[in-house]
Amino acid sequence: MEVLTGWWDDFFWGSLVVVKLFFVALILTVLFGLIGSAAKLSKNRVANAIANGYTIVFRGTPEILVLLLFYFGSAIALTALAQVFDPDVKFVDFPPFWAGSLAIALIIGSYATETFRGAFLGVDSGQIEAARALGLSNLQTFIYVRIPAMWRLALPPFGNHMLSLIKDTALVAIIGLEETLFVAEQAIGYTAKPFTLYLVVGAIYLGFSTIITLTVMLCEKYANRHLEIAK
Amino acid sequence: MIFDLELILDSIPQMLMGLGLTLQLLFLSLALGTALAIILLLMRISGRWVLAAPAMAYIYIFRGTPILVQIFIIYYGLPQLELVRESILWPILREPFGCAIVALSLNTGAYVSEIFRGGVLGVDRGLKEAASALGLSARQRFIYITAPIAIRLSLPAYSNDVVSLMKSTALASTITLLDMTGIARTIVAETYAPYEVFLSLMVIYLVLTWMIQRSFGWIEKRMSRHVRSEI
Repeated sequence: MEVLTGWWDDFFWGSLVVVKLFFVALILTVLFGLIGSAAKLSKNRVANAIANGYTIVFRGTPEILVLLLFYFGSAIALTALAQVFDPDVKFVDFPPFWAGSLAIALIIGSYATETFRGAFLGVDSGQIEAARALGLSNLQTFIYVRIPAMWRLALPPFGNHMLSLIKDTALVAIIGLEETLFVAEQAIGYTAKPFTLYLVVGAIYLGFSTIITLTVMLCEKYANRHLEIAK
Repeated sequence: MIFDLELILDSIPQMLMGLGLTLQLLFLSLALGTALAIILLLMRISGRWVLAAPAMAYIYIFRGTPILVQIFIIYYGLPQLELVRESILWPILREPFGCAIVALSLNTGAYVSEIFRGGVLGVDRGLKEAASALGLSARQRFIYITAPIAIRLSLPAYSNDVVSLMKSTALASTITLLDMTGIARTIVAETYAPYEVFLSLMVIYLVLTWMIQRSFGWIEKRMSRHVRSEI
């Protein structure tokens, strides 16, 4: 343990980066998932095709490749854009935090798209009809009837997506974001104890996974609380 | 930003040189991982606490930490321990290829064993009761009744896991292996053309994903042909 002396605070800040990345990517994931599933369920052919292409590409290619493409690709695009305004600019870097959260959110969002699509289809059509009969508008039906009913169905698989999300944040160390894995690499440079330090990273991630699993369990209990009485 | 078509045509054959390594990583770790998964499954359903608890702990740890961290612990971390350097496994763990196989197998084993468990739990109880009424022993019941049905039930989830294992092989590029992603990263480092190289590689991976899904679709269809003929 004396290996870790002086590195505790770095690991703490690294974990904080992981948490920030997780929440930013989580919000974007839900957003992409909702948009994607809406596009898949719509009658618009173009929207269907785009959403299908989206899920096929992001579920079928390695995460690391998407991440590298986003990081290096966005730097090139930004540089090209900046050179339009100021030809002297040599290189513009896209912040790895945003490249990372965007790439991860797009990947997990493609899985969430399928989950949400299935959950929306799973909502009892009688409930929608009842909402119509009560005079609720389309938007009101969506917010007060579809979302709460769909959420219950989507929660268990979405919990798994959140676990994939937290684990994918480790990849962002490859593009140089100072999260826990990156901190460990730096610490190894000084201490030459890779086994101990990477184990610490693993333990941190195991902690995060446990917290997420427990939170999802609580959420499921809360979402199904009306069913408890019926039992 | 113009697409350099020549570079694409130039880099695709180079990247395909790594296809062999990618496939080796995929098939070797799939075989080893599936074998491990069966052992873990048998331990979990054995009903003996001393066997089930270690299997559950193993699955919890390997599913709760990022595969990248596992790869780093095995490749960079284990040589720190003298025990490992003097063991008979050292010739395997000394090479990045051996480490990648070990890490991918250990990781996929945890996931696949959960899939198999879902399949075993999904087997209708009535069938098992009928089998025991016919006088089949517990072992016969598992081999002749439970296993064939469980395999068919777990195939869809298993094929998803094969795809995600295929995507994980790309992480071998982080421990100096020159699989397709490793080669692509080298080309990008030389040419600085991430769009051309990474996008063409994504297409190659998509073809692989498609092939995996198609073959599993075929196997599934074959295995449930008795169901189809009833309709």
